[in-house]
Amino acid sequence: MAYPTYKPTARSFDAGDYPVKVFKAQNGSESRILYGSKRTNMKLSLSYENISDLRAAAFSSHYDEVLGTYNTFTLDSEAIAGWDGGSGVIDAVASGNQWRYESPPQISQVRPGISTVTVNLIGVL
Amino acid sequence: MAKVYTGRDGVMQLDGATLAKVVSFSFESSLETLETTTLGDNIRTYTPGVVGYSGSAELLYYKDDAGVINTTEVLNSLVKTGTDGVASTDTVELTLRWVDGSDENDIKLTAYITSANIGAATASLSRASISFTGTGALSTVSI
Repeated sequence: MAYPTYKPTARSFDAGDYPVKVFKAQNGSESRILYGSKRTNMKLSLSYENISDLRAAAFSSHYDEVLGTYNTFTLDSEAIAGWDGGSGVIDAVASGNQWRYESPPQISQVRPGISTVTVNLIGVL
Repeated sequence: MAKVYTGRDGVMQLDGATLAKVVSFSFESSLETLETTTLGDNIRTYTPGVVGYSGSAELLYYKDDAGVINTTEVLNSLVKTGTDGVASTDTVELTLRWVDGSDENDIKLTAYITSANIGAATASLSRASISFTGTGALSTVSI
C-alpha cells in the first residue's frame, strides 16, 4: 500500500544537511569533514485537517504497512500539492533519499467521522 | 391568508406555560464549519461541524394577582443561593412561538440560562434580561 494520496492542508519542510563531522580543537578552531555528497536527514511535516475517519485510518494502515519507522517509502505528488518551486526541492527522492516515519502519525478526532492527522517524515539515504 | 408576523404574535413559554410580560426574545442557531481547504486550492472548502443554539429574552419584572413573579423560575436556574452552582439538571424547556390564530410556529429547546440581568432605574420599568444556550437537539421546529 502506497502512502495515502491526499493533499495536505499544511506542510513544513526542513532541508536537512550533508553528512558533515565537526572536530573542534581545544583552542576553539574547527575542522569539518564531508563524508558524503548527498544531503539527507530532511524533515517533512504534513497536516491533513478535517478529513474523514476513513482517510485518517489510511495513514495508520500505511504506518503498519511499512512496519512503523522501519521501512522507507516515497511520496505521491499530492504530498507537495501547491508547491511551485520544483518537486525536487522539498522531496527527499531528488537527493537520493527516501522517506521514513520519524514518529507515528498523530490522529486527533475533531468530531464524529472527522479527524485531523499529522505526519512527521524524515529523509534517509 | 398571507401574514406578516410582528411582535404581537410572539409568545415565549417556559415548561409549557406562557411567560407574562415578555418584551422581546431572539433565537440564533449556528453551525461550526471545519475547513478542508488543501494546499494548492484557491477556493476555501468546508465540512459541517457542530450545530449550536442560543438566544436571549427580555421580560418586564412583573407580579401577577396571585403574587407570582413571572421571572422567578427562569432566573432561579442561574441566580440561586448555596455553593453548588448550576447543576446539569438546571435546564429550562423554552418554547419560542409565533402565533397566527390557531396556527402555531414553534421552536422548542432545552437550555441553560447562561446570563441573567435584572435592575431598577428611576422613571423606568424594571426588566430582566436573560441569555440561554441550548443543550441537545431541538424538540420541535415548526417555523
